[in-house]
Amino acid sequence: MKNVAQLLNEMRAAGVVSDYALFGAVAQMRYTEPVATLDADVLVALPSSEGLDVLSPVYEFCAAKGYRPEGEAVRVGAWPVQFIPVFSPLTREALEQADTADFEGEPFRVVRADYLAVIALSAGRAKDFTRILALLEAGSVTPEDIAALAERHRLAEAWKRFKTRFLDD
Amino acid sequence: MTDMRRLLERQAEWQKTRNRLSWPEKVRMAEAVRESLRQLRLAPSGRTGPPSRSGAATPSPRSGS
Repeated sequence: MKNVAQLLNEMRAAGVVSDYALFGAVAQMRYTEPVATLDADVLVALPSSEGLDVLSPVYEFCAAKGYRPEGEAVRVGAWPVQFIPVFSPLTREALEQADTADFEGEPFRVVRADYLAVIALSAGRAKDFTRILALLEAGSVTPEDIAALAERHRLAEAWKRFKTRFLDD
Repeated sequence: MTDMRRLLERQAEWQKTRNRLSWPEKVRMAEAVRESLRQLRLAPSGRTGPPSRSGAATPSPRSGS
C-alpha cells in the first residue's frame, strides 16, 4: 500500500490529479478494525473534467510508471486501485477535508471518518450501514458528527431513518 | 448465559485489540486474507453465492471496498 501512496503523491505532484484521497474499506481501516476487501478506492479531483474519458491521464501516468490496468482498476503491487472522480458536493468536500496520514513514512491523503460515514449513508446499501456502525463502534465518529454533516448535505432524513433502525432502543 | 456473556466479552476485547493496531498493520492483515476472499467470490454459485464486484458484502471478516 505504501507504493500506492507514492504513486498518488507523484501523480498529484505532476498535476495529473489536483488532489486525491483514499476512501472505501482501506480508508476505513484507519479508524476501525481490519476489514476484508479486494481493492483500494481512491477519490480524485481532475484538473479537467471534459472529454469522454476523464481518467485517461491517470491511466496513462500509471502505465508510464509500469502499472497496468486490471479490469476497472490499475494493479499497484498487491492492490488493484480504483480511481473514482469526485461525483457529488459531498465527495468533493470529503476530498478537500481529507487528512494527510503517515503510511510507513509516506504521506497518504485519506478521507476523514465522518465523511466516510456520511458517504456510506448516501450509498445506503447494507454493507454501507455496517460501515457506519463500525465507525461508531470504534468511537471514530459520533452520531452528532454524522448528523451535522448529513444535514449540510441534505441527508438528514436518511440519517434519521438509520438512527431509528439501528441506534434507537 | 454466563458462558455466552464471557464469550461475547472476549470477542469484544479481541476486536478492540485489532482496532488498536496501526493502520499499516491492519492493511497488511487485509492483504493476507485477500486471496481467500477472491477465491470465495469466484466460487460456483450455491456454495458461497455468486461472484460479485469487489467490495460486495461478505460474511466475515467485515467486508468493504
